[in-house]
Amino acid sequence: MSLGAGQTARLFAQLKIQLIAGNLRGDATRKLGFVFTLLAASVIAAGGFLLMTLIRLAPADVAADIGVVAFTVLLVGWAVVPLLAFGLDDTLDPSRLSLFPLSTRELAIGLFTSSATGVWPLATLVVTAGAIVGLAGGAGGILLGVLAVLLQFALCLVVSRLVTTSLSGALRSRRGRDLMAVAVVFVVLLAQLPNLIVNRGVGDLPAMLAATADVLRWTPPGLAAHAIADGGLAGLADLAVVALVVLLAGWLWIKALARALVTSDASTQAASVRRSSGLAERFLPDGPLAAVVAKEFKYIRRDPRFRVGWFAAIVVTVVLGFSLSGTGDSGLSGPPLVIGLTAMGALMISLQSGNSFGIDGRSLWMNAVVFGSERDLRTDLAGRHLATASLAVPLLGLLAIALGLFAGDLAAGVPAMLAAWGLLGVGLGVGAVTSVVVPYTVPERLNAFTGAAPGQGGLAFAGSFGAMIGTGLLGVPLVLPVLLGLTWVSAVAVPYGLLVAWGGRRLAGSIGYPRLPDLLAAVSKST
Amino acid sequence: MVEAVRTDALYKRFGQQVAVAGVDLVVPAGSFAGLVGPNGAGKTTTLSMITGLLRPDGGLAEIGGFNVWRDPVQVKARIGVLPEGLRLFERLSGRELLHYNGRLRGIPKADVEQRAEELLRVMDLVKSADKLVVDYSTGMRKKIGLAAALLHNPDVLFLDEPFEGVDPVSANTLTEVLRRYTASGSTVIFSSHVMDLVERLCDWVSVMSGGHIVAQGALDEVRAGRTLNQAFLELVGGSRGSGDEGLSWLGAKAEDGR
Repeated sequence: MSLGAGQTARLFAQLKIQLIAGNLRGDATRKLGFVFTLLAASVIAAGGFLLMTLIRLAPADVAADIGVVAFTVLLVGWAVVPLLAFGLDDTLDPSRLSLFPLSTRELAIGLFTSSATGVWPLATLVVTAGAIVGLAGGAGGILLGVLAVLLQFALCLVVSRLVTTSLSGALRSRRGRDLMAVAVVFVVLLAQLPNLIVNRGVGDLPAMLAATADVLRWTPPGLAAHAIADGGLAGLADLAVVALVVLLAGWLWIKALARALVTSDASTQAASVRRSSGLAERFLPDGPLAAVVAKEFKYIRRDPRFRVGWFAAIVVTVVLGFSLSGTGDSGLSGPPLVIGLTAMGALMISLQSGNSFGIDGRSLWMNAVVFGSERDLRTDLAGRHLATASLAVPLLGLLAIALGLFAGDLAAGVPAMLAAWGLLGVGLGVGAVTSVVVPYTVPERLNAFTGAAPGQGGLAFAGSFGAMIGTGLLGVPLVLPVLLGLTWVSAVAVPYGLLVAWGGRRLAGSIGYPRLPDLLAAVSKST
Repeated sequence: MVEAVRTDALYKRFGQQVAVAGVDLVVPAGSFAGLVGPNGAGKTTTLSMITGLLRPDGGLAEIGGFNVWRDPVQVKARIGVLPEGLRLFERLSGRELLHYNGRLRGIPKADVEQRAEELLRVMDLVKSADKLVVDYSTGMRKKIGLAAALLHNPDVLFLDEPFEGVDPVSANTLTEVLRRYTASGSTVIFSSHVMDLVERLCDWVSVMSGGHIVAQGALDEVRAGRTLNQAFLELVGGSRGSGDEGLSWLGAKAEDGR
């Protein structure tokens, strides 16, 4: 006895709806989050639909080009976003269903239905449907348009499924997940690309659009969009090709699914790490401080979350640099550019220390069972600061010199360097306090959408915002005079930074030590 | 009787739910003590409060005569902990984890290294010592966790479900190490719901149910001629018939093929 296609589809659609409903039960913050998602999806669906219909106002060939690019962007989004958010959706991982007596066909129909059920698929369908209004010119166009929209929707789902399924083995292994976590940064960077291009004023937009669409026109989503605009026999041929591609992707997906279900993950065959006694061992006296510094260095090197953090700090600084210096006369130049950007780099790096215990997460108990006084907690924070500083100080020095060369004013590099080091100290001191006042769990697997455990988003926001405001307030008396030309102030920057960092650690110790159990609970939330 | 651990009316509530409702736990020094109880009895919460990882809402906890929440320095130097779930510093190798733990406690580096090597050898972890803990199996994690808990030679060792998910070979290693440790006069307190294991290892048993201690004493006193399992089921009221009511279909051969 096996279920018919219709029954299977209905069963999985119900399952998905129950999963969504079950996720909401009881937890107020999740309900709020879902309401927010619902609102966002509605706005995007309505806005996207409207924008698609507005294409109609453009000349016919430009409209077709925009349609082609829009459809391609949608497809790429569907292929990439679920990868980065793997784990947002319980039905995404087929291995959860591998113990049920389902044939591959039933599984394929079921998983297809469950991926079509949901808020975002619906929003996609609405946006895509907008293209009918925007592009179709006549009855043939509308008829083909309906078909094209459905095919494009199916293509999005099947390709998204194909990508996650064929990579699910890699995604379940530790190394694969580590890699994915770092890949998030590149997507963020990619999202900055248009911004950069526009800021630099490269090329004229219409020509670029035409050139892009010329290429994308022959990809499956391009064919679908073209079919709506064409509305004739050529459009029909376009759609036949798209349908073939959907079938092919579907077939490949079923094959990948059948393989994924019987392939175990190979994550336990792990490589060894190098045994080394690092710099910390050589230069620091033996004791807890050296132990913390050594551990932090290893974590910065090995934990993808640290890699993402450092990488993002550098990337944001560089992107800001391009944006600020970019537009000729209106851009910053000379000493203010050098000093401002180096200080920005210092701020970005020190912001990572605003939730020092978050990445330790549940393993923080190992410290908690040792710490018997405020002093122990201060030593821990000092070790973390030392590790961060020994990377950040040379990095900021290099940045200041590089920017000085770039701006043709190497002399500005010196006050910039000193001010940035001072600001780093300020940031670390403020971060120590926010670390114990508003601690939150950093999820094991970062995705591009959240940086905190479910329900702690507000805390995370308050934490990083508080760290930023605090660092800003304490840093302004340091950076502003230097920025305005009183470069002698930079001479006191480093002592000032050290003082704030020391004060921050003292304050954090006396606030944090009595709160140690609460701190532990806050960073141990399940993610 | 010298008490290694004593709690007095220890109490903890999570929202509406009372997890630990006044626990008076007593464990004599030098004993191998088992804390047993069904799931949700409050074992983990109790152990967390005694080891200073969770703040109690009321009551008192003492280790070796020192108040856990007033003399943390004294207490924390005397205890070793292996909590439930076993989250360790995942991105360190087994060896690095032991080094970190020892040096964080202020033990000189040379001593830490020597103790770590011996522990790794006894735990049969030498071959995996340079692999990251994140890639360890459950048995290996429990062993490295126990090694980390033993490194500073504590007087009292708290273990939450140390044998859960551990293969028989690793379990044997764990019990051998623990036996040697208690033979020297130190105290082990571990929670479990495997009665055979508790019966085999322990000389002192505390039975928890519904946030209370329902029986406590030397193993022979508590089981009073019965097996520990029998005594336990009677104490926590677990024997609710043999389950014959309902489930008539279970085990019956299906006729229509599926």
